[in-house]
Amino acid sequence: MRAGTSVEGFEIVCVELLRELQRAKRLMIAVVCASIVAGCASKPPKSEPDARAVFKENNDRLEPFNRAMFGVDQALDAVIIRPISWTYREVVPAPARRGVTNFLRNLRTPITFANDLLQGEVKRAGFTLGRFLINTTAGIGGLSDVAADRGLPYHYEDFGQTLAVWGVKEQTYLYVPILGPTGIRDGFGLAVDNFGFDPVTWYTYADNPQWVNWAYFGALLVDLKSGTMEATDELKKSSIDYYAALRSAYQQNRAKEIRNGAPPPIEEIDGEDPFAKNSDPSQTATSTVQ
Amino acid sequence: MIHRRSAIGTAAAALFVGRAMAQTGDTPTVAIQKFAAAGITDILSAKITQREKTTRFRGLFKTFFDIPAIGRFVLGRFARATSADDMAKFQALFEDVVVYTWTRRFGEYDGQTLSVRDSVPDGDEGAIVNSAIVGKDGQSLAVAWRTRKRATGHQIVDVIIEGVSMAITYRNEYATVIQQNGGMSGLLAQLKKQVDELAAKLDS
Repeated sequence: MRAGTSVEGFEIVCVELLRELQRAKRLMIAVVCASIVAGCASKPPKSEPDARAVFKENNDRLEPFNRAMFGVDQALDAVIIRPISWTYREVVPAPARRGVTNFLRNLRTPITFANDLLQGEVKRAGFTLGRFLINTTAGIGGLSDVAADRGLPYHYEDFGQTLAVWGVKEQTYLYVPILGPTGIRDGFGLAVDNFGFDPVTWYTYADNPQWVNWAYFGALLVDLKSGTMEATDELKKSSIDYYAALRSAYQQNRAKEIRNGAPPPIEEIDGEDPFAKNSDPSQTATSTVQ
Repeated sequence: MIHRRSAIGTAAAALFVGRAMAQTGDTPTVAIQKFAAAGITDILSAKITQREKTTRFRGLFKTFFDIPAIGRFVLGRFARATSADDMAKFQALFEDVVVYTWTRRFGEYDGQTLSVRDSVPDGDEGAIVNSAIVGKDGQSLAVAWRTRKRATGHQIVDVIIEGVSMAITYRNEYATVIQQNGGMSGLLAQLKKQVDELAAKLDS
């Protein structure tokens, strides 16, 4: 009898706890939504065409929210990620680090292969498959990129790029702490690649230990951060608004990936070559002042 | 202080440039090759002080780059509404920013070479010269140079590293600063602060 009561009591506690959790979850979702809404940048009025043009170019509707996330990211970077990446760079010799990069790239081949096909790039899909076969065998499990020396250079495709090729425009820039710069479209693409095409996710689906996923994520992060550290440090030192400079660099690099490395189109202002000899005669007089 | 230093630097650089080259190059590719060769021989590999390297680089930069055109592009739509006085101030500060941020890293030079791949037409009498900076370990970095034909030969108007354009990055960044931090005067004040900090580091 007593045992029954305690079980009943336990059930009641559990139900209450679940309700509380649901309430807390709803509250959290509400808070997150509110902060995103509050973090929205408002579109400048039509009376300010320059401001509107900058707003459109930056494509950063969540700028206040993103800047806050960027602050969190920079703090985490200084305390955790940077020291780990820095130590990795200092301790592990360059050839070994290159081996890790090659191994991870080879392991992630299904992502590029699937997206090559989804973009209708059959020839590039063939290169991707060829690289995988050569590097997995002659390249000792992918540690060495021997395929690149045989005329099959590395390229990377993801579902965000596929969506771009399909005509989906990036809705807005998004800064995610630890992951870094991305966007709504590209973030969604990342999730599709992770759950759909990533062999490590497939491995952990099959009741294998979850720590493999975490170790893999850690390795990817350290490999990425240690590889881009110099470039981001340089950008930080040469800029007065690092957030804005990084956003621009990310968006340009992303555009290059979507174009499959083709040279960037000429930037035009008022339909003219902005670098033309007399692109703006009103400023010619000042151009001699140095 | 900066301006006096710039004046001395410019005079020394003029001598240096006068000795090294009068023209940038008859073709975009030649201009890039001459720029790289002069940079490696006379600055990066030279056994001279950092200050002297900065002076020499400023001269080389002014010869091979169309800095006023880059400055105008970087200000973009804001250039038209900028007074001639502010434009001159911006051009001088922008030149200092680029010179100081580039020279800061000259000490890390470790025998890298520039290998020019090809050149494709671009814009008004211009080209994009595709090249790679190749390190001793065989690792390479893709660098594209956007050039335009000027009276002194082909001059560089942009450097694009791994798809990221220097001019566009500065333009987007400065547009944000102008929009959010007090307009053109806000930008000039922040650039001045940055240049002073970079110059102080050069002395230390």
